[in-house]
Order: sequence, then C-alpha cells, then structure tokens
Amino acid sequence: MCGIAGILFKGSHPDIAAGRALIDMLDGCQHRGPDSTGFALYRDARPGELRLRFFVGDGDEAVQTVERIKEALAEHQARIIEEEAIGTSQRFTVKFDGDVQAFAYAMENVAKVISIGTSLDIVKDVGSAHDVDDTYRVKSFDGSHGIGHVRLATESDVKPEASHPFWATGFADVAIVHNGQITNYWKMRRRLERRGFQFNTDNDSELIAVYLADKMSQGITLKDALATSIDDMDGTFSFLVSTKDEIGYAKDRLAAKPMIKYENDDLIAIASEEVSLNRLFPGQALNTMEPPPGTYDTWQRST
Amino acid sequence: MATIDLGDIPVRQANELIREYGAKGEDVEVVNPDARHHIGVGLIHDISVRVRGSAGYFCAGLTDGPRFIVDNNVGWGLADNMYQGSIVVGGNAGAIAGVAIRGAEVVVGGNMGSRAGQVMKAGTLCCAGNANFMAGYMMYGGRIIILGQSGERVGEDMTGGDIYVGGAVQSLGSDAVQTDLPADELDAIMEFLDRYELAFTGTFKKIVNAGKKLRYATSESQVRSIPFFTFSGDSEYWSPKIQEDIFIKSQIGRYRIRGYGGARVLPHLSDLAFKSDLTGVGGDADVVSKVDMHTLIGGKNGAQPLDLSMPLMIAPMSYGALSSSTKQAIGLASSMSGIAENTGEGGMSDAQRGAAKQLIFQCLGGRLGWNIHDMLRSDGLEIYISQGAKPGLGGQLMAKKVTKELAEIRGIPAGIDLRSPSRHPDILGADDLVIKIEEFREATGYRLPVSVKMGAGRVHDDIKIAVKDGFDFIELDGMQGSTGAGAAEVLEYVGIPTLSGIMGAVDALDEIGRRDDIEIVLMGGIRDGVDAVKALCLGADAVAMGTATIIAGGCIACMQCHVGQCVTGIATQDPEHEKRYKPTLEAENIHRFLEAVRWQMAALTHALGHSATHQLSREDLVALTPEAAAITRLPYAPEYRDRGGQPAQKAG
Repeated sequence: MCGIAGILFKGSHPDIAAGRALIDMLDGCQHRGPDSTGFALYRDARPGELRLRFFVGDGDEAVQTVERIKEALAEHQARIIEEEAIGTSQRFTVKFDGDVQAFAYAMENVAKVISIGTSLDIVKDVGSAHDVDDTYRVKSFDGSHGIGHVRLATESDVKPEASHPFWATGFADVAIVHNGQITNYWKMRRRLERRGFQFNTDNDSELIAVYLADKMSQGITLKDALATSIDDMDGTFSFLVSTKDEIGYAKDRLAAKPMIKYENDDLIAIASEEVSLNRLFPGQALNTMEPPPGTYDTWQRST
Repeated sequence: MATIDLGDIPVRQANELIREYGAKGEDVEVVNPDARHHIGVGLIHDISVRVRGSAGYFCAGLTDGPRFIVDNNVGWGLADNMYQGSIVVGGNAGAIAGVAIRGAEVVVGGNMGSRAGQVMKAGTLCCAGNANFMAGYMMYGGRIIILGQSGERVGEDMTGGDIYVGGAVQSLGSDAVQTDLPADELDAIMEFLDRYELAFTGTFKKIVNAGKKLRYATSESQVRSIPFFTFSGDSEYWSPKIQEDIFIKSQIGRYRIRGYGGARVLPHLSDLAFKSDLTGVGGDADVVSKVDMHTLIGGKNGAQPLDLSMPLMIAPMSYGALSSSTKQAIGLASSMSGIAENTGEGGMSDAQRGAAKQLIFQCLGGRLGWNIHDMLRSDGLEIYISQGAKPGLGGQLMAKKVTKELAEIRGIPAGIDLRSPSRHPDILGADDLVIKIEEFREATGYRLPVSVKMGAGRVHDDIKIAVKDGFDFIELDGMQGSTGAGAAEVLEYVGIPTLSGIMGAVDALDEIGRRDDIEIVLMGGIRDGVDAVKALCLGADAVAMGTATIIAGGCIACMQCHVGQCVTGIATQDPEHEKRYKPTLEAENIHRFLEAVRWQMAALTHALGHSATHQLSREDLVALTPEAAAITRLPYAPEYRDRGGQPAQKAG
C-alpha cells in the first residue's frame, strides 16, 4: 500500500541531485503512504570498499549494538575506514574483500542490516520524505540513480525496519521498492530457503529482491530475471529494482497497481503517478507512457 | 474566461472557484495543473474548462454538464461517473478512462490504459489510439469506439452496450462476441468522429455481449418454504432444511440463492450478560428522559455529523432488494425516531429522500444509481467494500426484480439476473482508496461524512486501513448480517461473527492509538435494545438494524426475498405485490419498534448505573459461554445463565 519512484541519470553531470529529485517525487505521492519513507541511493563504488548500514536503535541499546557490530566486523577482517551515527542507524564504510553473502548473513545475526553494497545506501525511517531528509540529508545526495518509496502500513507496524526500500538480503547493491502484494509469498520463499537463502523479514518486497538477486548471481541479466518474475510471482504488483548500474521495473498482468514513466535525453523517471514526474518539470506537459500490463524493462547508466 | 493557477492555489480551493464560475456561467482555464488529482470534480454546470497541461486521477469526475479539454495526459478514472457533458484529452489516459459514465462524451487523443469504460452505463468513450486490456469490462450500456487496437479480453463480462474497434482485436473477453455492424450505427460513429475532428478510414469490428451469462440457465422450483424460525432451529444431520437443500440442488445443479442471513448458531451478543443486578430494570416509566442517548456520528474530521437521537441507525438495504414503499416506510420511521437511514446499493429515489430526514448514500463497485446530484442531496456518503452476509461478493438481484423502472435508475438492462461487481474499479488498495475518498470530499465540498461499510473478515487490518485512509466512520457488519439475495453457502460459512468483528476493530484501533479518531457503527444480527447495549459496552459508538426493521414493518421471514414475489410487498418490485404494503401504516409500526429499542437502551443503561449511553463499558458485561469469553476476553460467568442473563440468587 504505497507509492514508488525511481530515477536514473544518463549523463554524468545531472542538473539536479538524485536525492533532491527523489524527495520531490515522493513528496508528490506522499498521499499514497504517509507512515514512512525510504530511499535507495547509488554512488560510485570505490575498489575494495563496502558500505553498510544498520538499525541500531538509540541510547544504551545503540551503544551496545554498535559494539557488537564492530566486534563482528573485526572478526570478518572488515576494516572500518569511516563510520557515522545517523537517526536510528549507524553507517560504516569498510575495507573488505571476502565473500559478501557469507559476510552479510553473519552481519544479519549481529544486528538489523539495512543495506550492504559497494555503492548502495538505503535510508529509511518513519515520517514523510522531508522528515527523512531532515535526519538523513538525502537532498545533497548526488549519485547516478536511485529508487524510493512511501508507505502506508497495513499489515505490519509503523517502524523503521518495516519501511522500504528492501535490500536483497545477502546480495550487495540490489534494492527494491514495491507496490502491491505477492500472494504466493510463502511458496516462493520456501523455494528460495531450501536453496540456502535467508530472509530478514516477512515482507514480500524482500522476497522479490532476493529472487531477482539470485537470478543475477547465476549470470542471468536483470532484464531476463524481471521477465521470469512476472511468471513466477502471483498477485498484484508494480515494482522497481535497482543495482549499481541499472534500474528496472516489472508490472503484473492485471495492471492493478499504477506506474508511469517519462524519458528524455538526460534521464528516465518512473513513479506510481504522473504527479510525481511533473514535480521534476513543473508547469510542463510531459510526454509520459504507462507501461502495459505484464511488461518489464531496464535502463543502464552510462559508464 | 477566468484563469486559475494551480501553481498558486491547492486543488480544493481551485475546485471551489471552478464551481463558483460554473454557477455564474463563466468558462475557466486551469494553468500549471502538473498532473494533480481531482481537477474539476463535482462540477454540475454547463461551462467549458480548459486544462493547460496534464491532469491526475479522476479529472472531471462526478460531474454533469461541463465541457472539459485537457491538453495533455490524464491519470486513472477519467470522467468518473460523468453524466452529461464532454471531455477531450489531447494525450494519453491512464486506467479506467470513462469509468461509470452515464451519458458523457469522452474522447482520448492518445492511448487508454486498461479497463477503459468499466461499468459504464451510457454515453460514448472514444480513443484515437490503442486501448489496453479489458476495455469495456463489465459495461452495462453506451458505446466504446477504439480507432486503434484493443488489448486482450475486450468486452470482458460486459452486460450491454457496444464496442467498436478499428484496429486489431487481440482477444475477446468472456461472454463477448463479434457481430455485424449495421449501417446506421456506422453513420452514428462517423458523425461522432466528425464532430470531434477525428479521422478514420478503416473498418470497424463490433463487439457485443453474447448473452450467455446474463441469466442463470436454470431457476429454482417453487416449493413450500420453511419459515426462517423453523429453518434456523436446532441443527440435525438430516433435517427438513437439509432435505430441501439437496432436493433443490438436484434440480438446478448449482448453488442456491436465498434471502436472509446464515442460520448456523454462532457466538453472539446473547452469549453475554450484564454484570449488575438488574432486578429494578423497567420500574421507571420515565427512564428515557433520564438517559442521554444523543449521538453524533461522522464529525471527527470536520464534516457535518449525523445527528442521532439515540446510538442507532438503519442498516443499508437497497431500493431493488426492497420495494419503494418499504424504503419509504423505513425512511419515515427513521425521521420519526430521529435516526439515519441508508440507501444501500442501487440509487436514491425521491420518495426515499423525501421520507428520511437523514440519509446516507451508498456507493458500490457497480456504481448503480450513483451520481453527483444525489450525493449532493445526501447527508453522508458511504463506500461499500463488503458486507457481513457475503463478504467479498457483490450484490445479487434476480431478474424478476430488475424491472424497467429499477433498471432505469441503476442504468442497466432490465430483466437480467444482476450480479453486481464485487470490487470497485478504482479501489485496488488502500493507496487508491485515499484518492477515492478525496474525490468524494472534493465533489461535495468536504461537507459530508464519508464512511466505509465493511463485512467482518480481516477486521484487524481493514480497520487500520479505514482510519489511516481518513474515513469519518465505519459501518462494521458481522456474519450474522442478512441480505436480500446471496449464495446459501456463503451466507452460512463465509465471514466472522459480529462479536469477533467488534473485538478485532477495537483491538486494532487501540494497538495504533487511534480509538478516538473514528466511530464504529456495528451491525449484523442486532435484534433489540439489549443487543444494542451490549454492542455499545464492547466499544461500538452506535449500532444499525436492518432485518429487525423490516420484521417490524411486516416481514414474515420466509427467506424468499430473492424471488421477487414477496407476499407482504416488501421484497418485490411487482406493483401487484407492492400494493399490499401500506407505507404510512408500516412506518408507524417500525417507529414504535424503534421507540421500544430506545426504551430498552435507556432502561438498561440506567439500571447499569449510567446517565448516558456513551458511559457503557466492558466492565458492565460477563460472558456466558467459553466461546464468547474467548472471543471477548470478558470474565466467563456461567452462573449468570440461569436467570436470563442475571446472576442466580445465592441459596440461603
């Protein structure tokens, strides 16, 4: 129950920061989800470095959690080169060159991981796009692409860890925002669990992220993974997925959840409603397009 | 021409201005629309409105008369429920363009999204580009002209109307068929295209309803019916009711339709008792004047609340299921007793509006009889999601009751077995619902309370959605609720009991700290003031009664409501049957019953030591059965069973 938005700049020097653009787009559809807001933002990777974010809570709890995380990082030969406490979370940049999946699962056992990646940062919390920006300084974020989400909590509580985007647990740099409901959730999850994947939440968005990341780790392109997701996922959905180089969408065959896109020479923008796209271009009539039911596509950033 | 800049003022203020200009007959231009929702909603004057850019959801929705031009794109629900008037869109339209239109001319220069023309009744929806899948889904009348291609399943479950496709037809919908295009219809299409300056040179394929699903293939044989009171008696494995059921199914080969609600014994309010000693109850002839029962419902968010002389309403029952005379009698009785009446599905008749001082207008997925004028003359708006008797299913009205007059109000073909859509075209989630509620408020100037009617199912989640989406109150309907026609299996086995419903609702609201932000009107098998007081104790702000009301007005509970030949003239549209019903006489009977309920509520509230009904609380109750105790978490007190709900006198 929510609104989604995504943007990818084709060139290297966009006129507007990705963070600023996503804040505007999400503010435009905040009516679809007033409870919480989140962003998955990508910046250029630095060789040998991993970016990690954790929910740590506050007060004594936060102090203890951060201690545990640091011990675990040391244990896994991840050397901290930068860290910051921000909102209810703690972010680290570490030097790490081991197996990310095993490392990620180990970190999951220590604290609630928000995201891990070479270029991904997920920022999410309760409140509006502007509230989250106030705490996490999203506005100044000037990476190449990102996706975002506003949430109306229905089945689960209003809390930071229940907000979107979701990271594909265990797979660096893959994030998802999803509007809808996967009705064969448990069937799909059990299939993936039998193959050794772990799930951090009972949220169907995490399932889609892990499903896609699994395919990609087998060498399947994101585009082909999106194609099979439409066959494999049952339910109503419109979702956006992002990796360190691309963003993509898929939409169910009933087109029960809205989605609209706009593309020009500089950027591709996708959102639940055109009102979000128009926020980027006030006063202009845009030549937008509604992706047809049962379709998918991806866009790569130029490298 | 006046200019309104949406870069400067919000849509709400812009719509007020547009309506003011409409009343003066002055045309309007809207600049910087930037795809905002609800532009021009609720306009009922014949002016032209030019939107310079793109519009969002429900552009020109709930209107009658105006002529709109939108230069660029529009979002979902273009021209929702538009009666007369026109709208021309230069660019593309999102999903459900032309939803529920009843006469309007809607022209889309680009492409249309899926389900265009869903539940439309009359008028023309024309698309110069391609239409996505399920164009004409569940349409009842009017025509759709698609100059380009149509997507999959065009005409899915259409009942009436015509679809003309100039390009390729990807596939036909269920019960749709391609047929010949008569010359006069082609002339009419070309005249329309000329008028809107649309060029077309190809040939059209005409698609209509195949007629295979409009009526049940078989009808139930008439047998001597078992009265409900016998029917619902102690269950036996092979009782007369089981025998009747098997016999009828052996003849018709399908599920049965019947009226009334489930007859299985479920935990209910009668499994609760009052904790206090009520030996003195009823002793005071003047007790009504000593208890404050005045109740306001629906005013929490600034709307004009319903003003009830006691915490009681009439439950939604349709003109259609019930005769016009019956709706009139109920309306009169509600006015005499100072409470609110509800239209149910299928529109508002003048007689009904005239009789009821306070009338809630209900909106269902089929939008049968739904329109801006009746919205404006109602006292509350209600979005029906589902009902207790048959959660998840739409209304049913068998052919005998779908008379010419009734079909006219609803905007559907006469003489079909009407199976109303079970879901709304434009409410596919809590996020869409927010935008729908806002449309209703925009259209009526934020004056009326907007409520939701929901059958008890996933109450815990649904209630949270209702309060978060900003409804003013909830009509929560338990499994013991009745209906004019429903599949027997669904009535008996689908849903959850009223008692569980109210508990789930109150718990969910407490969990998110929003108990004081919304009112709950509980219904579903509430029979008298005793049930009502127990419901209030459990946390309902008011209750509603349907079945009890019609029984008070002469119903004999034969459960043949669906047949349409009601001997009392209540559940019929046949004038010969209806003339037996005397609305003014029955209004007095219903009124007397409502006053008896009032007295019961007052007497019990007083005897429990309170001076106002809103002081009632869970502390006043105990549970008589383990099941009721488990559901309500009230203390289990079987010792109260012996004396009709009162504690047994201790010996010695």
